[in-house]
Formats: sequence, C-alpha cells, structure tokens
Amino acid sequence: MSVGHVARAIESAGIPTSSIYIRAFRHISEEMKLARTVVTRHPMGRPLGAVGDHDRHRRVTMAALELFDSAGDPTLVELPGPFRAGDPR
Amino acid sequence: MSETFEEFRRSFSYGSRSNLDFKFLKSLSDDEAAEFFRRLLDELGDAYDHGDIDRLIQLAIDWQIRGYAPQEGVDRRWAYEDGPFAAPGKPLAESRVALFTSSGHFVAGDDPNPFGIEGMTQQEAEDRIGEFIRAAPTLSRIPVGTVHEDLRVRHGGYDISSAAADSGVTFPVTVLRELEAEGVIGELHKDAFSFPGATAQMRIIKESGPEWAQMLGDEDVDLVLLVPV
Repeated sequence: MSVGHVARAIESAGIPTSSIYIRAFRHISEEMKLARTVVTRHPMGRPLGAVGDHDRHRRVTMAALELFDSAGDPTLVELPGPFRAGDPR
Repeated sequence: MSETFEEFRRSFSYGSRSNLDFKFLKSLSDDEAAEFFRRLLDELGDAYDHGDIDRLIQLAIDWQIRGYAPQEGVDRRWAYEDGPFAAPGKPLAESRVALFTSSGHFVAGDDPNPFGIEGMTQQEAEDRIGEFIRAAPTLSRIPVGTVHEDLRVRHGGYDISSAAADSGVTFPVTVLRELEAEGVIGELHKDAFSFPGATAQMRIIKESGPEWAQMLGDEDVDLVLLVPV
C-alpha cells in the first residue's frame, strides 16, 4: 500500500504520477484509485522483468511513461507478454 | 516433531522455511496449497521432457496472484471512492521525470542504518519485519548516475536476489537514462528516490507522503514514475 499512499499524496500536490504494479497487487491500485497504472504479469520482486531482460524493463517503463501523454482520466492498463526466465550473463 | 500441513505452508512466511517468493502460501487454504504443490510437481515432471521452464514460472505467478487476492470478509481499509488526478502541464518529451521506488535501494556508503544498526543485512531486515512495518520510512536519495555496482538493496518484505543481481528489475534508472538521451523524456531528475515499502502506513499518509510530495515540487519535478515492490 505504501506507494499507493505516496502516489495519492504526489497527485494531490499537483504532480502527475504513473505506477508499475505486478498483477498480484493490481487490486491495490484499483482500490486506491491511482491515476495511472501499468500492470505486469510478473512475480513479486520483479515488476520490470527478469534479471538481464533489459528489453522488457524498457518496454514496461515506456508503457508507464506513455500514460502521461495518453491518459486524460484515471487509467490502468495490463501489459501483455509473459515473464521470461532471467539471463544474468 | 510432527508438523501439520498448515504449519508447513505457513513456515514459508518468515518461519523456519522463510522464502519471500512463496510467503503467499500462508494465505492459501490447505486444499489450495496442496493443489499448488500437486500442479507444481506435475509441471516439474513435464519439464523433464519439454524443458519449458516458463510454464513452471507462470504456474507460480498464477498462484501468487491467487494468494494475494482480496479475501472476502476482510476490511479493505485503503479502498477509496475516488482519487486525485493531476494533468501534466507539458508533454513527456519536455518534462523533468523523477524515479521513486519502494525497492529499498540506497547508495553504498549512504546506508540509512535502520533502527541505528550499521550494515544491517537482508536477513536481519527480514527478521525485523515486524518493527519495519511499525516505523517511519527512511527515504534514500540516489544520484541517477550511480552505477549498479554502487547500489545496495535491502528490504524485509520481498526476495531481493533479483534486484541485487540487476537493479533494473525494480529500479529502472538505466532505462530512464537511455530514454533521456533519446529525447523520449525531457530530463531525468538528478536524483532518484527509494525506501523500503514495508513501513508504517499511517506515517506515510500523514507525514512522509505529503513531505515527499512537497520535496518533489520544490525540486521542480514535473512527473513521477513510481515502482512499488
């Protein structure tokens, strides 16, 4: 819940926010009525993607940032694509 | 010493078999947890033949989702009727963006030393989770030029092994620097921010949240990317 409270405080101060939640915590964003949310079907502790999966990290980040330009109202989008096992090499 | 199945599944949540990736087992019923293990072993057996580990991962994610699903009859204390929505004053490509996470990152040499303890380990943080969730959060300021090798992460609420191996899984400052260089965002704020999200909720609501919002405004941040972990 912590980031949800922070998001609400920042939005209340007039600064737009966009949040990246994993699917297991989607209900938190919904219940806290957050302004902009991207949901990834990733495991806890890896909201951006697996170790070494830079392309996925970038895609998730971009999806969250794009909401600043595209969302005129509170918006939650679930990003397609599965979590892939990491490659630490 | 005999152990019930309930005791077994609960032991993964800060118990004798503590494993923060699977602490959700505590929230499943005995029947559900038994079904999880049955399907996990079935998939593992199949993986001997097809080698598709992604199916195992998806199974674990599906059950994690189930474990954290809102439970009937439990008061949704933080459910609101509506929420604040601030419209951006300018396009992303002209905006100063700050990264703000609850991943528990900090810079080597700038350890927030929770509870006055120097060099607290991840294990100690997990052991003290009950204290963390009653204490005020400490925010770490992280210059965005900090390289992965100089980042540290500690958080008693989740398995930090991925974040420690690649900070990009919870703290995407490398991606944001790329996007700044490409002009996708106008400017990446000179500092990112992180705190361990397992903390006192009322302190966040009444104190830290408004203070941090004020700080971001004072530093002329236009947009904030938040990563809850």
